[in-house]
Amino acid sequence: MSRWYSLEGKKVWVTGGAGYLGSAITVELDRVGAKVLCFDLPGKAEALVREHKLVNTVPLSADINDAANLPAVLERLLAEHGVPDGVVHLVTASSSGKRLEVLSPDEFQRTFDLALTPSFILCRTLAERMKANGKGSIILFSSMYGVVAPDKSIYHDPMAPNPIDYGASKAATLQLSRYLAMHYGPSGVRFNCITPGPFPNPTVQKNHPGFIADLNKKTVLQRVGQNQEIVGPTLFLLTDSASFVTGHSLVVDGGWTIW
Amino acid sequence: MSTTVISLTGKVIIQFGGTGLLGRALVKSLASSGATLVVASRNRAALQSLADTESAAGRKVFIEETDIGSEASLTSLRDRVLAKHGRVDGIVFNAVSRPMRTMNDDLKIWRESMETNATGFFATCRVFGDAMAKQGGGSIVNIASIYGMVGSNLSLYEGTTMTTAPDYFFHKGGMINLTRYLASHYGAAKVRVNVVSPGGIYNPETPQAAEFINRYNKVTMLGRMCDAAEVGGAVIFLLSDASTYVTGANLPVDGGHTAK
Repeated sequence: MSRWYSLEGKKVWVTGGAGYLGSAITVELDRVGAKVLCFDLPGKAEALVREHKLVNTVPLSADINDAANLPAVLERLLAEHGVPDGVVHLVTASSSGKRLEVLSPDEFQRTFDLALTPSFILCRTLAERMKANGKGSIILFSSMYGVVAPDKSIYHDPMAPNPIDYGASKAATLQLSRYLAMHYGPSGVRFNCITPGPFPNPTVQKNHPGFIADLNKKTVLQRVGQNQEIVGPTLFLLTDSASFVTGHSLVVDGGWTIW
Repeated sequence: MSTTVISLTGKVIIQFGGTGLLGRALVKSLASSGATLVVASRNRAALQSLADTESAAGRKVFIEETDIGSEASLTSLRDRVLAKHGRVDGIVFNAVSRPMRTMNDDLKIWRESMETNATGFFATCRVFGDAMAKQGGGSIVNIASIYGMVGSNLSLYEGTTMTTAPDYFFHKGGMINLTRYLASHYGAAKVRVNVVSPGGIYNPETPQAAEFINRYNKVTMLGRMCDAAEVGGAVIFLLSDASTYVTGANLPVDGGHTAK
């Protein structure tokens, strides 16, 4: 094993760290010896730590959707836990779930308020502190639907196509990441996006076999992704394995967007 | 130290082109990553020297003289590797020929370039893509360049003797989209195909012109050129089981050059 991608002893914050993708990331980070701060909705991070007997992970239930209060919340956590070496920011997922025809201005706006403004504040607050270390890695999460439009033909009634506010906010997340990469590049803090393809959670996989079959066919690997498969790309971008990779959208989609 | 998912332990990897600045750095990275590494190149003397250098540093590499311009040479390599190591889990296509110097070179030089960079590249991917498909899966990693993604910024080169030749922009661009074709072709057979696009790599042995380096540093977000050793991480990631859901992707290792 080569040392240059070790995360042992590194401080990594994972927001949304107990969700479907986040939990796989948190568990692996814990296993390789990173000191993890796992943020999620009340009780979820604690349950993950218990269930997987995590030993290096501190569970937290901070509200990071409130952009106005976020700097104070983060400053408190920085004082208590120190400046992170890496940040995996998964809490950008927000969606009205509504069809385009009935989506109200408030619902459209709400997705952007939840997905983008807190992400910007979180990234700026943490990167400003990480600058002093001369290095660091922050990973945002976009989506294939921030790159290509959904294919209406795979969403059968009563399922609504993936909504427009979700895709637009994921496209914006890509640009947020590139801009932040440019701004913080000279200080050595890298910003990248992971752009996942279809990663339906186990409930969807179980209850909607027809939908899963359609998703499978949209990828060149002929299958949907499993949450374990988001771990490698995340660890790659966090470590010095990716020391010259910044501003990139790392597409993890089984080939969904290449044809 | 705890192990991570990013490892090539137990995998047999063939690297094409291993004697240039980037090639030697990749050999060093791959040979340190747990892989059984076979380096294939046309130049026997350079291969032997590479093997000796690696051996002196405590790393084992197997060397195989190969002409990628000959399909027979490629199938012979495939058979020798399968006979000796039992399998092929991945290839790294880092071979390149750069015979063209300027826009005004004779077209026969363009054709010569395509013999290696287009035909040899395709033949290599097909021989080993087929072999890995038959075996049940594998990973192909092609080494392109940001010059397969963007045009030449001529102001970087002003006042230097450095030139950029047009053939390179054509075959590196072609490599990136052929990667997508191959990813699609081999997807169902579980052979993943991806491409790494490095930005300008600093050459510590014969440094580029100082004015070029100064200008180049400013066009990357990280404010510097790439160290050849920084490309290996991306290649290992794409060869390894850490990237099982990544295919057809282009991964620039360019300090953000193409993101702005």
